[in-house]
Amino acid sequence: MDFFQTHPWVLIAIAVHLAILLAIAYLILLERKVASWVQDRLGPNRVGLGLGIIPILKDMKMKGLGQPLADGIKFLLKEDFRPAGADKILFSVAPALMIAVVIVSIAVLPWGGIKQTTRIIDVTSVADGIVPAAGTPEYRAIMDQCNAIVPATGQLIGQPIIHVATGGVAARVTYRYPFQIATLNVGVLFIFAVLALAVYGVVIGGWASNNKYSFLGGLRGAAQMISYEVPLGLSLLCIILMFGTLDLGEIVDKQATYWGSFVPAWNVFCQPLAFALFLICIHAEANRAPFDLAEAEQELVGGYHTEYSSMRFALFFLSEYAGMITTSAVCVALFFGGWHLPWLEWLWSPLRGNVDAAASPAITTSLLACVIRAAVFFAKTLLVIFVFMWVRWSLPRFRFDQLMSLAWRALVPMSLALLMATALVIYFFGAAAQRAHLRVGGTMALAMLGANVIIGAASLLAARMLPAPPPTNRRLKIRRGLEQSSPVAGAAL
Amino acid sequence: MIMKEDDVKILTEPRLSLADQFYLPQVLIGLGTTMKHLVGVLGGKHRVIQYPEQRREDLPVDQGGMLKSTYHGVHRLNKDAQGRVKCVACFMCSTACPANCIHIEAAEALWDDREKYPLTFVIDELRCIYCGMCEEACPVDAIELTSLYDLIGFTRQEMIFDKAKLLEVFDRTVKAEPM
Repeated sequence: MDFFQTHPWVLIAIAVHLAILLAIAYLILLERKVASWVQDRLGPNRVGLGLGIIPILKDMKMKGLGQPLADGIKFLLKEDFRPAGADKILFSVAPALMIAVVIVSIAVLPWGGIKQTTRIIDVTSVADGIVPAAGTPEYRAIMDQCNAIVPATGQLIGQPIIHVATGGVAARVTYRYPFQIATLNVGVLFIFAVLALAVYGVVIGGWASNNKYSFLGGLRGAAQMISYEVPLGLSLLCIILMFGTLDLGEIVDKQATYWGSFVPAWNVFCQPLAFALFLICIHAEANRAPFDLAEAEQELVGGYHTEYSSMRFALFFLSEYAGMITTSAVCVALFFGGWHLPWLEWLWSPLRGNVDAAASPAITTSLLACVIRAAVFFAKTLLVIFVFMWVRWSLPRFRFDQLMSLAWRALVPMSLALLMATALVIYFFGAAAQRAHLRVGGTMALAMLGANVIIGAASLLAARMLPAPPPTNRRLKIRRGLEQSSPVAGAAL
Repeated sequence: MIMKEDDVKILTEPRLSLADQFYLPQVLIGLGTTMKHLVGVLGGKHRVIQYPEQRREDLPVDQGGMLKSTYHGVHRLNKDAQGRVKCVACFMCSTACPANCIHIEAAEALWDDREKYPLTFVIDELRCIYCGMCEEACPVDAIELTSLYDLIGFTRQEMIFDKAKLLEVFDRTVKAEPM
């Protein structure tokens, strides 16, 4: 128990990973359900949790809740096939790399703000009966003991208060730790650096299969993911510029307030265009329709995972959903205020930060509040994931040239212009706020919204003035020689 | 004949409107359409028949039910009033069959009212495309397609219906679907 008190991140990591792995399984069910609802069907609704074998549960269908389990068992039991001529090592490395990369990037998500804990520890063994003065060896020994109980990711707040209690001497220690797995002051950078590695999974998988369709899928995937990384990073930069930090926790913390004491200070309201660009790019990053060119069934059989079967295929499949969770969670943290539960948080003070709400609404003394915040965060993430699925079953796939022209002719210039506009707005409206490290003020938010609208309208007009793209329907002239060599054509002439 | 330059009709793509060019408004309209269907299904407006519990023959046609009288299902060999097989082994059906799935061996008739009768009459139900040409071709209305559609078997052999089995289908369906 003591171990978990000094290493809370281990518990958080276990809880988060279990929740996410379970969520992935059920996201696949949700995807199938959404697909069928959109198509006026009902979707899988036969397999209950008894899987047709376990007594009592056997005859309950439970709306298909057992389907992911049945799918998992099926994946495990399928033949693990590797084509002749496939690269033995790389063929196995690719799916493992893909899933590892996605799971690692979950580590820096700020699930529940900052938890403040006060503990009273017994220091009688060091100082018997008296409160030692500062500087004495006993005092230093007490300080060492106090420091030992502070989690590695946390920090001591103030000086421990040492006092004589019944039966000895006690020290009152207050410390704070962020309610997340790892604290990283370059959190955003880390996530996107790691997620960008997923392109290796696609390329290596495509190359190692020794199959031309897989190879083409891998190439397309690489070109697409690298192209969309650019506008993704640029739209992200708008947010980072506003807050002057790469720490996801801090970005969420500064959104957990209100403009005009009613509108949640979420970035989606002051940077809607950046949000739209970001959303488009994470669709492309996650290889989801309408950007699923790497696995276009109609053209490439199955794309980079054509040759994969059994659990190796399952890893590719799961990493697609895990990637959706990660990118959606980052989207929530950057644009939807992370764990911030607007309006409802007024009902219970620990939820809105009960230590020093003026300094940071993130700090709370209640563990329950942290858990509720994590649940809120997760619920928002699920909503974004639902948008992913909704989009997938609404839009047809882009053609490859359309995909590239969307990235380089539209998204990159727009995100560059938006970045410029954001910088200008900060220069004119937010200089004081930036220096004081305050939250984005109401005026600045309005100015930012205005800048977004202007950039959107300007890009609409600019699109009319862009030189026309090469014609999509390039017709070849009928060859003269052919015409003459044919007796029929000759007679007609 | 080789195509000439004049034969080629050149179509130009229609110029996109401002909203089309920006994608997002049209994307939102598309999302609206799918959301309408999604909400409709959650409100119970789906087009699914839960098969083993609900069957198409029990539903009215306008709700996705099937018209039994015109359905092309498993074949049967009809019997006459004396319980004899009606077939006269004329081979019209197997000649008409586009899938070549009807195999008949004719023999001298045991009765005076016809020359031949089928000694064996085998239909490969896996090969059959259920087009109903045999039924059209039959001069004595001996072969008919019933409305049974849920035929199953664990082996291919089970799905090759011989004369006894086809007559049994008649016994099973004659009440519901008289000749």
